Amino acid sequence: MKIIIVGAGEVGYHIAQKLSEENQDVFLIDKDPEKIRRITENLDVQALLGSGTSPEMLKTSGIKEAEMLVAATDSDEVNLIACLLARNMNPYIVKVARVRNREYLKEKELFSQDLLGVDQIINPESVMVETIRNLMMVPGASDVVDFVEGRVKLIGITIKPDSPFAGRQLLSFKGMEGKVLVGAIVRGEQVFIPHGEDTIRSNDLVYLVVRSDELPHEFGFFNLENSETRRVIVVGAGETGSALASALDETKMNVKILDKDAHKCAALAEKLEKVIVIHGDGTDKSLLQEENIGDVDFLVAVTGDEESNVLISLLAKGLGAKKTITRVNKLSYIPLVSAIGIDTVVSSRLSAIRAILQYIRRGRIISVAPLKGEHAEAIEAEALETSDIVNVPLAKVKFPKGALVGAIVRGDEIIIPRGDSVIKPKDRLIILTVQKVLPKLEKLLTVKLDYF
Amino acid sequence: MHPRSIFRLIGLLVLFLGLSMALPLLVSLVYKDGSAWAIGYSMVFTCSAGLLMFLAAYGGGLSYLSHRDGVAIVTLGWLAAGGVGAIPFLISGSISQFTDAYFESLSGFTTTGASILSDIEKLPQGILMWRSLTQWLGGMGIIVLSIAILPFLGIGGMQLYKAEIPSPVVDKLKPRISDTAKTLWKVYILITALEVALLVAGGMSLFDAACHTFCTMPTGGFSPKNASIAHYQSPYFDAVIIAFMLLAGINFSLHYRLLRGEGNVFGKDPECRVFLSMVGIFIVLVTFDIYGSVYASLLEAFRYAAFQVTSIITTTGFVTADYDRWPSFSRYLLVLCMFLGGMAGSTGGGMKTMRIMLLAKHAYQEIFRIIHPHAVTTVKLGGRAVPGDILSSIWGFFVLYLGIFVISAMIMSSLGLDLVSAFSSVAACIFNVGPGLGSVGPVQNYLQVPFMGKWVLIFCMLLGRLEIYTVIVLIMPEYWRK
Repeated sequence: MKIIIVGAGEVGYHIAQKLSEENQDVFLIDKDPEKIRRITENLDVQALLGSGTSPEMLKTSGIKEAEMLVAATDSDEVNLIACLLARNMNPYIVKVARVRNREYLKEKELFSQDLLGVDQIINPESVMVETIRNLMMVPGASDVVDFVEGRVKLIGITIKPDSPFAGRQLLSFKGMEGKVLVGAIVRGEQVFIPHGEDTIRSNDLVYLVVRSDELPHEFGFFNLENSETRRVIVVGAGETGSALASALDETKMNVKILDKDAHKCAALAEKLEKVIVIHGDGTDKSLLQEENIGDVDFLVAVTGDEESNVLISLLAKGLGAKKTITRVNKLSYIPLVSAIGIDTVVSSRLSAIRAILQYIRRGRIISVAPLKGEHAEAIEAEALETSDIVNVPLAKVKFPKGALVGAIVRGDEIIIPRGDSVIKPKDRLIILTVQKVLPKLEKLLTVKLDYF
Repeated sequence: MHPRSIFRLIGLLVLFLGLSMALPLLVSLVYKDGSAWAIGYSMVFTCSAGLLMFLAAYGGGLSYLSHRDGVAIVTLGWLAAGGVGAIPFLISGSISQFTDAYFESLSGFTTTGASILSDIEKLPQGILMWRSLTQWLGGMGIIVLSIAILPFLGIGGMQLYKAEIPSPVVDKLKPRISDTAKTLWKVYILITALEVALLVAGGMSLFDAACHTFCTMPTGGFSPKNASIAHYQSPYFDAVIIAFMLLAGINFSLHYRLLRGEGNVFGKDPECRVFLSMVGIFIVLVTFDIYGSVYASLLEAFRYAAFQVTSIITTTGFVTADYDRWPSFSRYLLVLCMFLGGMAGSTGGGMKTMRIMLLAKHAYQEIFRIIHPHAVTTVKLGGRAVPGDILSSIWGFFVLYLGIFVISAMIMSSLGLDLVSAFSSVAACIFNVGPGLGSVGPVQNYLQVPFMGKWVLIFCMLLGRLEIYTVIVLIMPEYWRK
C-alpha cells in the first residue's frame, strides 16, 4: 500500500516508522531539511523536502497512485488543506487528518464528504482524555486498553519488587485459567508474548486480558487496590485539562482543577457545575497540601510544560497522592520518566499515533492498540470461516511464535481461552502479537492457503 | 558495533559469490576447457565457507545495523569478495601467486580492469567468464545485490546502501531501499541483455559478447582478448561499445526514468548535460591532436579518439589503440579524463561529474563574494540549493583523494617505477580505470609492478570503488573506540 504522510514531527515520524517496518511504501513530506535528513538516515521511507500543501509536491509524491494520506503536522490548517488538495487530485484516496482544535471536532458536518472529505479526524487530546478516564477506572494499572466496546480490558500492571508475583512462573498460577490471561510482558526495552514456563520478574510491565465484569474479583488476586476513584486533582486547564474536567463533571467524583492563569480559571468556572476550579501554581507545595493532596486518589498533571508535569507528579507522590498520571509529549522521555518513579504516563503524540494506526489497519482487523514498548500490539479481529484457525482446538492452531489469543468474543459470551478452546467462525478475537509476526498473523487470519 | 551481525552478513555474501560461480562452471562444462573441476572445487569451498560463517554467527537479531556496522560490512565484505574471487584463479593454476590472484580479483570486483595477465587468451573459458563476472557483480555492487535479495535487512539495508554507493546526494528510486536495489539491478540486467544482443548481432561469439558486456556495463575493462577491443578491428563493435560505455557512465536512475517513459531525461538533467558535453569536447580536442600526427584520415582519428576518451572518462579501460604513443597533449587529456570520471549514480569511478560541478560552482561563489561581499548566494544544482555540509563533505573528499594520490604515487616511485608510470598507475587504480601510461600502459600490464606496489594499488582500487570515506573510516582509531 502506498501511503503519503505530511509532517515529519514526532507523530509523522513514528507512524512512518511503524508502517515502513510493515513493508508499506511510505512517502513522508516535510518542510524542514534537518528532519528530512534525519529520516533519510534512520527510516526506510522516501523523504521529500517540501510543503504538504503544495500541489506540485503532492504530485511529485505520486498522490495519484497513493491509497492513503495522513496529515499529521502540528497545524490543523495545514492538515486540512493537505486533505483538500488530496481529494481534488485523487478522489479515491483515504484521508486521515490530525486536528487539535476541539471546535472543529464539534462541527462534524464541516469535514464530511461535502466540504473537505476527510475520512477520519484524529484528535489526540480527546483520545488522551479517553485514556485518562480509562486509567481512573482501574486504579493500580499503568495502561488500560478497551476492546469490544469496553467489555474486554487489557490492563498493564507494573510488578513491584515486593509483589508476590515477582519471580513466579506463569504455570504456577492455579485457578487463573479461563479468567485472566497474561498476554504480554514488557521488560525494559523488550516485549514478548509469554509461555507457561516464563517467569515474571520485578519491574516487568505485565499485560493481562480480563473480562470487564470480572474485574473486581481479579483485583484482590493481583493485589490491586480495589477502591473506587473518589478524589481527583487535575493540574493544568489547557485543552486536555478542561476537556477532562468537563467529562468528569458528569461523574460522582470529587474533582478539582488547578491553573496558573486566572482568565482560564474564570472561563472554566463558568462552564463547570461541580468541579472546583482553583487558581494557583501546581508546583506550589502549600497549595497542594491545602487542597488535601494526601487523600487524593489521582493527580493528573496535564499542563503544557512537560518538565513541570513530571515535577508536579513527583511532588504529589511525595505528599501522599495515591496515583499520578503525567502527560509527557516527547516519546523518548517516556522510558526515563517511568524509571524515576512516575506511575503512568500519557502522551498526546502516542495517542495520536495509536488512533491513526488503528484507522489505517481497519478492515480485516477491527482495532489495534500498540502496547507500551511499541514493538507489540493488541489487535481485535474477526475469525473468518475460510481461515485456518476456526473449528480446531487452539493448542493445534499453528500460530506464529510471538502471537497469542487473549480472548474470544462470541455474541454475549466472552471466553478467556485455554488450550482446548475452539474458535468458531464470526468470533471476534483479541490477539496479542509482537510486531514482527504481524504480517504472518494477518495472512493466517484471512484465508487458508489451499483455498484457492 | 555488532560483530556477530557483521560476520554473519559477510558469510552470506561469500555464499552468494560461491553460488554465482555456477555460471563460469557451466561455461567450462560447455567448452570442456578442463577448468570445470577447479571451478567446481572453488564453488564448493566458497559456499561451505560462507555457510559456515553464517551459521557460526547464528543468533542475535539483524534488525538494527548502525552506520558503523554498515561501513564495516561493506569494507570487509569487499575485501572478502577479493579473496573469494582469487580462489578459482589459484586453484585452476591460471595465476600462481596469491598477491597476483588477489590483485586480479579485486581489480575485477572494483571494476578497475587492471590486469597482471600477459597472455589472457590462453586461460580456459570458464576462468575468463569468472573474471568478467566479478566485474559485472562489482559494477552495480555486491552489497546492493544482497539488499535486493535479502528481505530481512530492512533499515539496515539503508546503512549498507549508503556505505557502498556514497553519492553526494541520496537518490532513492523507490520508498523502500530493497525495492530501489531491485529496480537498479533490473535496469542493469536489461541494458546488459541489450548489449549482448547487439554484439551477437554484429557477429561476435556469444561467449565473447557476454564477457565484453559484463565488463562494459560496470565500466570494468577486462577483455578476454589480449588486444582488448582492438582485436576485432571493427567499427561496428567500437560504436556499440562506445554507446554502452556512455550509458554505463550515466546515472542509472536516469535510465530507470527513461524506461518509465519520461522522455528526454538526459537532456533535462544538468549533470548529464555537463557529462555529455565534456565527453564531446574531449573527443574533439583529442581528434584534432592526433589527426595528422598519428592518423592520416580525420575519420580514423575521430574513431580512435572517441573510443579512447569514452573508455577512459567512464573509467572502463577498454582500448583500441596504444594511446601511450599519442602526443603528450592527448595523453594529458586522457589522464584528466581518469580524474573526472562518470556521473554520480553510474557504475563509473573517478571524482564524478556532480562533485566537479559543485566544486566549480562553489569556487565561483567564493570569487563572487569577493566582488559582492554582502550578496546572499547559494550553490544550486538543477534549480535546487545544495546544503553547505554537502559542499564541505565534497571538499573533504577532494582533499582526501589528492592526499592519498600523492602518498601512493610517492610510494610507487620509491619502489623504482618511473615518474609517468608511478603517477598513472595510481591514477588508473584509484579512479578504477585500469590501464595507465608508461610501463602500465594500454599494451602493458601490472605483472612487473613490485609486490609492495601491488598491495598499494589494491588498496587504491578499494578506496576508489567505495569512494574513500567508507574504507578510511575503518582505519581510524576513533572508529574502534567504544
